[in-house]
Amino acid sequence: MRENSTERRSGKKVLVLACSVMEKEIRQFQNGRLEFKFFDYGLHRTPENMAQAIQLEIDKASDEDYEGIILGYGLCSNGIVGITSKKLRLIIPRIHDCISLFLGSVESYQKQSKEFPGTYYLTPGWIDKGQTPVSKFKSYAQAYGEETARWVLHEEMKHYTRIVFIDTGVYPREPYRAIARENAEFLGISYEELQGSPNLFKKLLHGPWGKEFLIIERNQSVRQESFLDL
Amino acid sequence: MTQTKESMNSIYPYLEEDSKTAAPLYQLQKAVVQRDCKTVKELTERMVKEGVDLFRILNQGLIPGMLEASERFRKGEFFIPELLMSSRALKFGLNVLRPLIQERKNRGLAKVVIGTVKFDLHDIGKNLVIILLEGNGFEVVDLGVDVSPEKFIKAVEKNEAQILAMSSLLTSTMSWMKFTIEHLQASGLKKKVKTLVGGAPVTPIFAKNIGADGYCREATSAPSMVKKLLGIKENEGESPFKQDSTRL
Ligand code: B12
Repeated sequence: MRENSTERRSGKKVLVLACSVMEKEIRQFQNGRLEFKFFDYGLHRTPENMAQAIQLEIDKASDEDYEGIILGYGLCSNGIVGITSKKLRLIIPRIHDCISLFLGSVESYQKQSKEFPGTYYLTPGWIDKGQTPVSKFKSYAQAYGEETARWVLHEEMKHYTRIVFIDTGVYPREPYRAIARENAEFLGISYEELQGSPNLFKKLLHGPWGKEFLIIERNQSVRQESFLDL
Repeated sequence: MTQTKESMNSIYPYLEEDSKTAAPLYQLQKAVVQRDCKTVKELTERMVKEGVDLFRILNQGLIPGMLEASERFRKGEFFIPELLMSSRALKFGLNVLRPLIQERKNRGLAKVVIGTVKFDLHDIGKNLVIILLEGNGFEVVDLGVDVSPEKFIKAVEKNEAQILAMSSLLTSTMSWMKFTIEHLQASGLKKKVKTLVGGAPVTPIFAKNIGADGYCREATSAPSMVKKLLGIKENEGESPFKQDSTRL
C-alpha cells in the first residue's frame, strides 16, 4: 500500500486476514475496498499452527492483485512470528492479543490488567464460540462426567476474580450480557461491564497507520521483538 | 503387544525397543497419554517391585508419555481437559517414585522457588513443572501466580533456594522475567541462585537476552536442566530430552 490508509476509492483491493472471533467488529468497516478472510478462532490455542495457516493465505494472495494485506491478529503467543509476505505489504496492530482491539487501545487493556489481573474477558464473539466457563463446563461434563469437569474447570479458573463483559457495539447487548453475568454467578466471582471502542478496529481497517501499527515491508518477517517493550 | 515396532517408534520415539522392560515402559507411556491414573500407579508400583531402575521408569516411561500428551496439545489434538488429566496421571506415577528417589538421595536434591510472573494467571504449565521437579526429588516452593519480583526475591532469600524458576504465558508479561532477574542482581543474590525460565511464548533468544541461566521448551526437561545448572550428575536411565533445553 503506497498510501497510509484504505480510504482511496479507486484502485486495488486490500485483503484482510483475521480471527473469526472479531468478524462482526471488522465487517462493520467494509468501505468497498476490503476483502475478508476469517480463520478458525481455535488457532489461538495452537500458536504453532497459526502462522502456517496465515502464511498459506498470504502466499495465495501474492498471485492476485491486492494493494496490501491487513492482519486482524496480535502477536498471539508468537502465532504470527515468522510470517513473510514476498509481494505485499503487511499491516499489523502492535498488540499482544485481541483484548486491546475490543477495548480500543493498548493503554486501556494495560490499565485493566494492572488493576485487575484476575480478569476473564468475554465478548459476544467469544461467547458465540462457546468459550465461556459455563459452556466449557458443559462440554467437559459431556466428555468426562461432572466430577472431572468440575475439577478441570476449577484448575482452569481458580485464580480468576472477575468476569468483564466487553460490549463491542455490534451485537444486541441484552442476551450476551445475560450470558456473561450468568458465567460470573456460576463461578461465584464479580461481574463488570466495559464499553468497547471501535477506534482501534477503525484505524486498523481504514488507516492512518501510526505507531500503533507495524508495517512489514515485502520480504521481511514478523518478529517477536517488534511487539515487546524491553 | 500388538503394535508393530514401527508404529511404536513413530508415536513414542524414545523407547529402547530391545530391552526386557520395553513392553511395560511402553504401556506406562500409553497410560499417561490415555490419562489412566490407576494403570499408571499400578504399572509403576509393579516395575519398582521388579527392581527396574527408578530413573528408567521415570525417563523412559512416565516422561515420554507426558511429552507425548503435551505435543498433542501443541498440535491441537488434546484440549485443556486431556492435558490436565494426563498431568494428573503422571502425578500418580511420580507419587510412587518420589519417596524412593528421596530415600536414595537422603534428602531433597535442592530447593526450587517457582511462580508465574506478575499480572499473569496461567499456571497449567508451571504446575506440571512442579509435579516433575517434585517427582525427581527436588523441594519446590510454589508462589502461585501473579508473582512480583519482590515476592520472588523474598522467597529465594527465606528458603535459601538454589533455583528460581519463572513461567510466563503472556507476551505482555514476559518482561517481568527480566525485571525479576534485574532485581535479583540488584539484591546481590544473582550469584547464589540460578534462574530458569519457560512458558509457550518464551524463546531461547529471549531467555538469553534477559540474562536467564536456563530455558526449557518442555516441562519434562526441567529436572535435567536444573541438575545441569547445579552441576548434579544425571542419573541412570538418563533423560533423552535435553535437546529442547538450553543452558544459557
Ligand atoms: C489454557 C489457556 C487459558 C486458561 C488458563 C488456565 C490456567 N489455569 O492456566 C484460561 C482460559 C483461564 C485463560 C485465560 C486468559 N488467557 Co489464555 N491461554 C490458554 C492457552 C490456550 C493454553 C495455555 C496452557 O495452559 N497451555 C498448556 C501448558 C502445559 O503449556 P505451557 O504453559 O506453555 O507450558 C509448557 C511449556 O511452556 C513449559 N513451561 C511452562 N512454564 C514453564 C516454566 C519453566 C521454569 C519451565 C522450565 C518450563 C515451563 O512446560 C509446559 C509443558 O511442556 C494459551 C494458548 C497457548 N497455546 O499457549 C492461551 C493464551 C496464553 N491466553 C491468552 C489470553 C489473551 C488470555 C486472557 C487475557 C483471555 C481472556 N479472555 O480474558 C486470560 C488471561 C488472564 C491473565 N491475566 O493471565 C493469550 C495470550 C496473548 C498474550 N498476551 O500473550 C493466549 C496466547 C491465547 C491467544 N492466542 O490469544 N487462558
